[in-house]
Amino acid sequence: MKKNSLLEVPLLHPGWKKLAYVFFPLPVFIVIGMAFLNPKTDPNEATQIIYGFWALAFMILNLSREQVEDEMIRNFRQQAFQTGFFWLLWGLGALMLINYLRFDRITSELFTAYLVLFLLNAYIYVAFQYQKYIANKEEN
Amino acid sequence: MKNSIKVERAKKDMTQQDLAEKVQVSRQTINSIEAGKYVPSTVLALKIARIFGVAMENLFELEEGD
Repeated sequence: MKKNSLLEVPLLHPGWKKLAYVFFPLPVFIVIGMAFLNPKTDPNEATQIIYGFWALAFMILNLSREQVEDEMIRNFRQQAFQTGFFWLLWGLGALMLINYLRFDRITSELFTAYLVLFLLNAYIYVAFQYQKYIANKEEN
Repeated sequence: MKNSIKVERAKKDMTQQDLAEKVQVSRQTINSIEAGKYVPSTVLALKIARIFGVAMENLFELEEGD
């Protein structure tokens, strides 16, 4: 069956995953370095740097090919993106509710694009890995 | 959905890996299909049926609730 090339998502080579794994600890060192160089660094800025790098890391992992990219994996990936968006809605809703109960307002400086991208990609990653785990456990 | 892939595989003395290679999917996918954890696409179901030389409806069977 022919696929619509406009909707086709080119996946990254699995080798890119190594870069993603570097992006998890890297921002911690950057933030420590920044704190040494400029002790007056805004803690919020440090948090955003960490969220940004982790969002990128999960994004790379989510868009990297598996060793065997067959229809089950493609199916899992599609489901993971759908589930990730669903969890993001509830997760953000919960954060807003907590914020409202604590500070009497729904909005907060906490809700940045970096945080949302990090949460979304983390949820997608977890949903994808969970499906693979379910498929692989209790092997025949 | 039930299926008799495991039985057909045994008849042909074929491992999951052998079948996976023939239909170009991973062994985990074949395992998931056999265990009823994953329902294959029509294309993959037809490919598997062709390998065993049986009709697709003889290989896959709807269960109550499907």
